[in-house]
Amino acid sequence: MKIKNILTVVSLIFATSGIFAQTAREISDKASNAIDFEAMEMVLTLKILDAKGRERVRQVTTASKKYGETNKTIMKITAPADVKGTAVLIYDYENRDDDMWIYMPALRKTRRIISSEKGKGFMSSEFTNADMSKPNMNDFNYKILSSETFNGHPCWIIETSCKNEDIEDENGYSQRVTWIEKETYLCHKIEFYDFAAELYKIQFMEQYKKLSNGKYFAFYMKMENRQNGRKSVIIIDKFQIGSNLSESTFTPAMLDK
Amino acid sequence: MKFKTTDMIKQWSLMIMLCLIAGTESRGQGLLESSQAEFNGFVRGSAFGGSELYDYSALFGEFCLQSKFSQGKTYLYADLRFRGGVNFDEEYVKYQLREVYAGYQSDKFDLFLGNQIVVWGRTDGFNPTNNITPNDYFFLTSDMDDQKLSNFMLRMKYRISSVIDIELIGIPVYSPSDYRFDLFDLGDGVSFGEATLPEKSFGNGSLATRLNFEFSKAGVSVSYFRGYDPFYGFNVQSVDFTTGVPVIINSATPYLKNTIGLDFDLPVSSWILRGEAAYNITDDYEKNMHIPNPDIAYVFGIEHNFGGVTTILQYVGKQTLDFTKLQLPVLTDPSDPLAQIQYANEMIEYESTLFNRKMFYQQEKTNHAIVLLLSKAFAYDTWNIEVGGYYNITSEELMIRPKITWKITDALAASLGGNYMTGPDNSIFNYSSPVLSGVFVELKATF
Repeated sequence: MKIKNILTVVSLIFATSGIFAQTAREISDKASNAIDFEAMEMVLTLKILDAKGRERVRQVTTASKKYGETNKTIMKITAPADVKGTAVLIYDYENRDDDMWIYMPALRKTRRIISSEKGKGFMSSEFTNADMSKPNMNDFNYKILSSETFNGHPCWIIETSCKNEDIEDENGYSQRVTWIEKETYLCHKIEFYDFAAELYKIQFMEQYKKLSNGKYFAFYMKMENRQNGRKSVIIIDKFQIGSNLSESTFTPAMLDK
Repeated sequence: MKFKTTDMIKQWSLMIMLCLIAGTESRGQGLLESSQAEFNGFVRGSAFGGSELYDYSALFGEFCLQSKFSQGKTYLYADLRFRGGVNFDEEYVKYQLREVYAGYQSDKFDLFLGNQIVVWGRTDGFNPTNNITPNDYFFLTSDMDDQKLSNFMLRMKYRISSVIDIELIGIPVYSPSDYRFDLFDLGDGVSFGEATLPEKSFGNGSLATRLNFEFSKAGVSVSYFRGYDPFYGFNVQSVDFTTGVPVIINSATPYLKNTIGLDFDLPVSSWILRGEAAYNITDDYEKNMHIPNPDIAYVFGIEHNFGGVTTILQYVGKQTLDFTKLQLPVLTDPSDPLAQIQYANEMIEYESTLFNRKMFYQQEKTNHAIVLLLSKAFAYDTWNIEVGGYYNITSEELMIRPKITWKITDALAASLGGNYMTGPDNSIFNYSSPVLSGVFVELKATF
């Protein structure tokens, strides 16, 4: 009886201290894995709206496939016409800088480019290049702030802070706060804070669809810049899990095709 | 009965059409595969002027249609241009097949035949290993890449693995670059006659190959070129003394060379190092002024982004092999008419050889130059400012080219810029400046 009481007390202490609960890092890892694909292809439309509502539209076809520990992604711009044919190849590594190449039809050659500018706008939008690839989970510190219901979904609110200034510079923000659904681990909202810890941008992920492999994908994403009033929207026009493309397609020598 | 037959034909036609549409849809292999037929292009108005010798160096309107077709492994591409306007005070209308080629392409192997533009090398603007593509240096627009001209060639590429590929190019007929030294003020009595081009024969064709390694941590290529260099030299075609003042006619004369090349790029943290070197081998250069000495040309560059400014700094060098200083002729006996004629001939030989050496950057045993390229995008890439600077330390020649581009809409862009060249008396830039220095403006709509 005495032993039973002690075990009960110990269990209660462990439960309240969170040793048996999920840590913020574990939740974030699961959220990352919930939308992780070994291979996929998609066609997307990117709408960029300035503060006055003027719209510019880009269309991109992209394919991604994992070879060993390296995730290889190829993106081809199909509109507007002046940049049509521009293609970017990214080798995304878990623990080191990505390799990136760009092919621009006007130059007629493929150039290796610097990959450290993940914080730069993706095709002049409010999304960044970092938003287009899986983040390096080890670059951040994680903390559970609270729980909240967002759009009818019970969510954890997780604070993710860059570990150092170099990582801040690379990603273009100091920290983000993410609303992660408790049941599915899907992200519904992310707030980005600038280097002065001021609210900078808010990203909304909507129209999640469960795919045949049990993973999810958001077919509508919106990024609102709260400092300049600009908005960008990504609409997934076509999506397929898996890719029949051979590894040779994901090589610099094939970017001009 | 007739009505029924017509109806049947309509139904069959509809069924065939539906089958064709269904067949077309099912051919798509993936979302990344480009559509079977694509048509793009642009219309632009472009003006370049304000030089010392020409108010209007280039004023033209241009329509460009680019079409691409691929079905299975079959591929064709065409870039057609219609252009009309004024070029150095001469009115013209020109139809140009800038690129037209067809061929086979697969994951492993490509084969294309037709007029193609090929750019080899990893450095920017100065590519000693790129000996294939000729240029029209006097087609003045806002974009230097407009100067590239195509060659008729057979081009094959074989991808040995995901990181190694080999390219083989055969060019049956030599195509020279276009540089209009006839526009330069080279002094009274100096003019340019017909070019002395190599005969159109198999032996005068060009052959080039490049083995490319694209590793994750670095890219390296080795290349070989054998053929006539599109960047040709000049020979003295004739000298006429009948008027008392020598009248010299120069002739563009290409020369044969072999080039062994190497280029690389190497990312180091947030920097990229790029380099390129070419060993150019020539024969009979001692007896022919239009043939440069063998040399080793090299470019080393570094690229970094400083606060949003893409910065490329390059060193461009050349080491001339078997170099000998030119000896200024001496008039031995000013009172002897024969000595005077001999002296005049030697001076013509001297000046013409010197001119060729300047063109080939072989006026000294070593040539050193610095290139700086800066580019900065503003306002979410709707504005872009770029400045290119070139300074030849050896010849003290300078070129600066600023340009600002405004993307007014997704389909409409305006560019404004200029080109400034200067150099010591009788340098190539000193001759070029009155023709090629000026300002340009361009409005371009793409579709």
